[in-house]
Amino acid sequence: MLKNLLIPRNTLLFGLLGLLAILLFILDIFFGSLLIPFKTILQVLTGTGDVNPEIKSIIIDFRLPKAITAVMTGMALSISGLQMQTIFRNPLAGPFVLGISAGASLGVAILVLGFSSVFTLGLFTISGSWALVIVAWLGSALVLFLILAVSIRIKDILTILILGMLFGSASGALVNILQYFSNESMLKSFVIWTMGSLGSVTKSQLNVLIPSVIIGLFLSFFSIKSLDVMLLGEQYAKSMGLRVRNARFLVFTSTSILAGSITAFCGPIGFIGIAVPHIGRLLFKTARHKILIPSSLLLGSIVMLLSDIVSQMPGYESTLPINSVTALVGIPVIIWIILKNRKFSSV
Amino acid sequence: MSNQQVNITVRNLSVGYKKGKSFVAIKEDISVNAHSGELIALIGSNGIGKSTLLRTLTGFQKPLGGEILFNDRKLGSFSIKELARVLSFVSTEAIRVQNLRVWELLAMGRYPYTNLMGTLTDEDNRIIKRAIQQVGLAGYEDRMIDQISDGERQRAMIARTLVQDTPLIILDEPTAFLDIRNKYEIIHLLHDFVKTENKTVLFSTHDLNISTSEVDKIWLMLDDKVVEGAPEDLIIAGNFDQMFHSDKVYFNGESGDFMLRKNVIGTYTLKGPEGKIFNWTCRALQRIGLVYTESDPLLVINTPTEEKDMVWKVEINSTEKLVCSSLYELTAELGKRLIRL
Repeated sequence: MLKNLLIPRNTLLFGLLGLLAILLFILDIFFGSLLIPFKTILQVLTGTGDVNPEIKSIIIDFRLPKAITAVMTGMALSISGLQMQTIFRNPLAGPFVLGISAGASLGVAILVLGFSSVFTLGLFTISGSWALVIVAWLGSALVLFLILAVSIRIKDILTILILGMLFGSASGALVNILQYFSNESMLKSFVIWTMGSLGSVTKSQLNVLIPSVIIGLFLSFFSIKSLDVMLLGEQYAKSMGLRVRNARFLVFTSTSILAGSITAFCGPIGFIGIAVPHIGRLLFKTARHKILIPSSLLLGSIVMLLSDIVSQMPGYESTLPINSVTALVGIPVIIWIILKNRKFSSV
Repeated sequence: MSNQQVNITVRNLSVGYKKGKSFVAIKEDISVNAHSGELIALIGSNGIGKSTLLRTLTGFQKPLGGEILFNDRKLGSFSIKELARVLSFVSTEAIRVQNLRVWELLAMGRYPYTNLMGTLTDEDNRIIKRAIQQVGLAGYEDRMIDQISDGERQRAMIARTLVQDTPLIILDEPTAFLDIRNKYEIIHLLHDFVKTENKTVLFSTHDLNISTSEVDKIWLMLDDKVVEGAPEDLIIAGNFDQMFHSDKVYFNGESGDFMLRKNVIGTYTLKGPEGKIFNWTCRALQRIGLVYTESDPLLVINTPTEEKDMVWKVEINSTEKLVCSSLYELTAELGKRLIRL
């Protein structure tokens, strides 16, 4: 239907998605427990007009960082998921198949459940939240290091997948032990972390989060060409001149930086990474990463902003945990895709 | 590159795999050759090491001994990138990637030549378009590869090797899973561009009579050795007879194909004009285990003289008479009676 238009279909779709992303970004800032007029928001964002400093602070210090975090999260997780689906040639692979979120959880669990009683860290003070980020990052870096070490030595991609899952399960078991022996309030802090949160990322943390995501995305751009040939499997990729291990190393590094940073700052946010690349494939009807990567960037931002708007429950005082919202948004997409192609054998 | 004259020499090659710290050789002392403009079939029974040999030739696996020379240069000295410009490969694995168009699949073949971002030049597009036409897939550019037939997908995979523009193309059982028409067409296609593009194409197969009628050379893997030669050379030398050690299957040097050994239930002789009906009557009788003889046959069968009047008249032991109006009736009746005898 769109084929006969003057503008190529893909350009048109990218344009529409871009506009939708901008619109949702502004809407995400607009919705919150305090109703701020639309005009005021635009004035603050464009830096014009005279705005009450308190209102300005709500927008600049809280709502804007949250919206930016949502965009970063959506982009990072979607690209990670896309890369994992291609490299494992499995449509149900996601950013966390390598056990990255489990590693981060272990780091956080050790901090929250193991040490915080000893050092009495206030989890929600500035220093406390930095501590949280650092341990989560260390946890995912540990898993990253193990996976990369394994991927250099082991040829078979399925073995890497299984080892990744086992690393994840092992960290999960350690987390369970820590949970079992910790007190109630600590347990609650930890459970809240696992529910994910976009709002806890401060402006100063954004100074670390944004560059990390940009580095991860930058690396993924260099994988565009190799990801395409890896769709046919490693044997074909090699026969066309791809150094498979180098390519895999680059993809794993990018995924770990992206998924690791997001998990460190926002907690383990599920389903976005699995679902979004499929929406991209469905809309653009292509397997080429030159199209899929930019489409996952835009769609990831859109879905995450939408999830954030829903989690704020416009009109109500309280908010929903973001992880529940992404699950409720992501799972129907995944079910739909499974039912749509019964012969769900490959991406 | 593709018009360059190439000579592939395999000398005393041992192929196999690594098990723990030791090496297990599947096949040793392989010495064969291939040249530009040759279509070569690799034939051998299951498990004899055809795939292992192909994997070794493509560089996926290291040889355990001996050497593979590509125009006097050792294959092991080629980098992965150099190798991708020398040989391309189609595996037995069926590619089932969703949302991948035929044109996009072919474009992947330009991987060794494009820049970091994989941008296609006009020259690349021209090469892809030409390959699509060569394999007869014009008009299929935008079709998804998981929505075309097995034969069309195999053509697309072969077109991708043309796009990769290598002097040597290796295919692992390209005709497996295809119907008989597609088997013939695929082999014929390979034959065509071996001649027009002066390429060397090596493929493994079990389709003996298709390949013996099209290939220039056969590499035949036997239990104790690998022999090479024109299909006819190997048939005359009786090499195919050594392929199976079986009482049930034998190689028929006349028809150039394998046959099942039957229990002989009797002898026959035919009377009638030579031609289609005569020949197929022979085939039907052989199928139920009858052997042709001229002296003292059990059965004397008069075949129909013209197609309008399909009647087979049979004398059994010079006494009993039988008249049948189809070969089905003939074989069924004879089967019943000869078991009784």
